[in-house]
Amino acid sequence: MIRLEDLSVTYPGGVEALRGIDLTIDDGEFVVVVGLSGAGKSTLLRVLNGLVTATSGSVVVDGTQVVGASPATLRQVRSRIGMIFQTFNLVNRTSVLNNVLMGRLSVVPAWRSTLGLWPAEDREAAMVALERVGIVDKAYVRASNLSGGQQQRVGIARALAQEPRLMLADEPVAALDPVTSRQVMGDLQKINRELGITTLVNLHFLDLAKEYGRRLIGLRDGEMVFDGDIADVTDETFRDIYGRSITDEDLLAMGDSPADGTEDV
Amino acid sequence: MTATTRRPAAPRGARERRWTVALVIVVAMVWSVSGLNVTLDRLLGAPGDAWAILRQMVPPAFARVHERGAVGKVFESVYIAWIGTVIGALLSLPLAFLAAHNVAPVWIRVPIRQLFNAIRAVPELILAVILIPITGLGPWAGTLAIGIHSIGTLGKWATESIESIDSGPIEAVESTGGRWVSNMRWAVFPQVMSTISSYWLFRFEINVRASAVLGMIGAGGVGSELVSHLVFRDFPAASAVLVLTVGVVLTIDTISAAVRRRIITGSVGKSEPSRSAEALSDLTGIKQR
Amino acid sequence: MTPTPGQSNRPVRPRLRTRTVSIAAALTAFTVFAAREVGFDPSTFWEVWSNPLWEKFWPIPWDWVFDSGNVLQPFVETFQIATISTILGCGLALPVSFAMSSLTAPNRPTYLVSRAVMNVVRAVPDLFWAKLMVTAIGIGAFAGSWALTIFSLAVMVKLFSETVDGADPGPLEAARAAGGRHAPALRTGILPTVFPDYVAHSLYVFELNVRASVVLGLVGAGGIGRVLEAQRQFFRFDRVLGMLVIIFVVVWIIEQVSVSLRKRLI
Ligand SMILES: Nc1ncnc2c1ncn2[C@@H]1O[C@H](COP(=O)(O)OP(=O)(O)OP(=O)(O)O)[C@@H](O)[C@H]1O
Ligand SMILES: [Mg+2]
Repeated sequence: MIRLEDLSVTYPGGVEALRGIDLTIDDGEFVVVVGLSGAGKSTLLRVLNGLVTATSGSVVVDGTQVVGASPATLRQVRSRIGMIFQTFNLVNRTSVLNNVLMGRLSVVPAWRSTLGLWPAEDREAAMVALERVGIVDKAYVRASNLSGGQQQRVGIARALAQEPRLMLADEPVAALDPVTSRQVMGDLQKINRELGITTLVNLHFLDLAKEYGRRLIGLRDGEMVFDGDIADVTDETFRDIYGRSITDEDLLAMGDSPADGTEDV
Repeated sequence: MTATTRRPAAPRGARERRWTVALVIVVAMVWSVSGLNVTLDRLLGAPGDAWAILRQMVPPAFARVHERGAVGKVFESVYIAWIGTVIGALLSLPLAFLAAHNVAPVWIRVPIRQLFNAIRAVPELILAVILIPITGLGPWAGTLAIGIHSIGTLGKWATESIESIDSGPIEAVESTGGRWVSNMRWAVFPQVMSTISSYWLFRFEINVRASAVLGMIGAGGVGSELVSHLVFRDFPAASAVLVLTVGVVLTIDTISAAVRRRIITGSVGKSEPSRSAEALSDLTGIKQR
Repeated sequence: MTPTPGQSNRPVRPRLRTRTVSIAAALTAFTVFAAREVGFDPSTFWEVWSNPLWEKFWPIPWDWVFDSGNVLQPFVETFQIATISTILGCGLALPVSFAMSSLTAPNRPTYLVSRAVMNVVRAVPDLFWAKLMVTAIGIGAFAGSWALTIFSLAVMVKLFSETVDGADPGPLEAARAAGGRHAPALRTGILPTVFPDYVAHSLYVFELNVRASVVLGLVGAGGIGRVLEAQRQFFRFDRVLGMLVIIFVVVWIIEQVSVSLRKRLI
């Protein structure tokens, strides 16, 4: 599904965000990526769908080389990769259904989508995606009127509407409270199990990572310092990745909920 | 409390600076007045002349101007302003997407911005002067002049509001493999639509005044009525035309301002007052910031 | 979580509201009607290019444009009009703005009357003022200056009274509490905080005045527009274009200077 070879990313400012990453992920895996802030987690996900360009090395996703791909090829690759964002990235001023339909943009002819003449089967796909995350009743509500957790589900539905082979989630629960976080992580897990969509999730909280992940990747200063089964992970491993011992703040159960009052974001 | 604390000396230069500014202003006034061919008796005579005319303006001769179709002319000005605004809005909207730095590449953005600047620099009146030989006298010349000029301001405002949007949805559409057009339509347009449409209305308010003025050179609307009455020194008729115009302008301003307030508060827009203060000074319709 | 084929809990697509539809229909009807009234003629858009008139715009006679008597002197006149009207208009606007702000108005009648009068003054287009002045006191820059003074006043009170509205009332209350009379209380309580804005707005009004005074000449109120109008009547569009280029450059420079000064002030 994914093959990274000697991948490095250096940002225009000169920051080396990733260095010499070699990684293979198979179909249907559920991989959690952890690391300190600035370790390169987001960069790793974004390089997979070409939102960030690799400086050197090779990125092959679903059989297509992403590095140096033409715009058309890149669109083609992206259409098979769903992405979920920490801040949801919904268009607040339009309906939930319209937000989800954005996941169909790569398959609907531009003139039809521009005029809002969505084909029936694409509306159906969007509705099915909403049903899968359990908020189909909100289809015609403005996205800004939903709670944070519901908004993230719209984000997931938008990605699902793409009928993707790979799902990338960049700290999908960082803006949510603990209970909602678990629900959203549960959604992602079920999607992975039931639809067999390969899933990569960046997480900040270690207990969430252990609870939902099957394979764990640890990044530290742009380098991959751990890659293994979640069952083999000990506190020692986390110390390696974080360069310090674990504190309450690294745990969702204990740490301050970062999302107090963000329900109505 | 006692004199042991050293009191700071008053900052030097403040007084001097104040005097310098005053001097500059006085010199500027003297210099400007020297160029205006003002003689003492003209200066002293002016208030009297103005007063004499003002007295003749009361009461306005509404019946007479109504017979001549002045009301229709006022409405013609409104139609000119409306169609001009529609033309400006329709043409400026797509251009604004090509001019905003967060969504358009530099090679297209720079020329389009320059186009907006160039258009803004030419007053409607001058545009009409150029257009009349082509279209002939009449409202179509005024409509085109207003439409073209509006592209400049509306384009600039729309560009600014596109540049202030949240980039998250753009990235989201990009990550689904959507095309640029789809991205503009579904990630950008819903975010800016309400702000931009309130700018259109605001421009319409300005354009009503502008189209009244355009009539003075024969480009349709009420301006021609005012000019012909003034030329024949028919002051009661002129004042009737003036009152009609002011009434329509004030009515439109009031309605439009109320609608704009609804559009903006109906959506989480950026606060309007500063923008309105800025754009309100556009009242002559011939310039912007 | 499993997709339910029953679709029972799917909401029905809300129908477009009658109000929305009727507003859209009314606007469209009005637009179509207005377009016919103004003689909407799209053929102008393509026929414009085949018009032989365009030849008259080219080449620009730079010799004539840069000959000081032709363009420079009237341009100086334009500046003189803009300068004197900015100074007079903005000077008058200072007390009027205080009367027009609920924060600083001496009493309610003054507040209401000054607002109403200023709204009406602003509703009269600037060139209407110019034409009225030309009729009243004769053709020339003198009339233009009066017109632009009134215009500057109208714009400035709108801008500045909004600033005063938004000013912090604290110092003013303190000055009043200390027993200050109205005018001195304003002088010490409000003026210092709003003065930078006053200067900034004045610069902006000057910018507007330069642009406005360019067209004053078209109605006989002096300045560069007088030459523009004369050349147009002789169909010397090449000269008109040359002047437009100069006007564009000068207005642009003034705008840049004014914008950077205003940025430093606020
Ligand atoms: N667009 C950019 N331009 C320049 N530098 C960047 C850019 N994006 C990220 N970086 C830098 O690259 C490094 C890795 O960033 P990245 O966003 O991948 O970290 P992260 O692990 O996702 O951190 P966080 O947990 O805070 O999201 C950081 O040092 C960051 O400052
Ligand atoms: Mg990140």
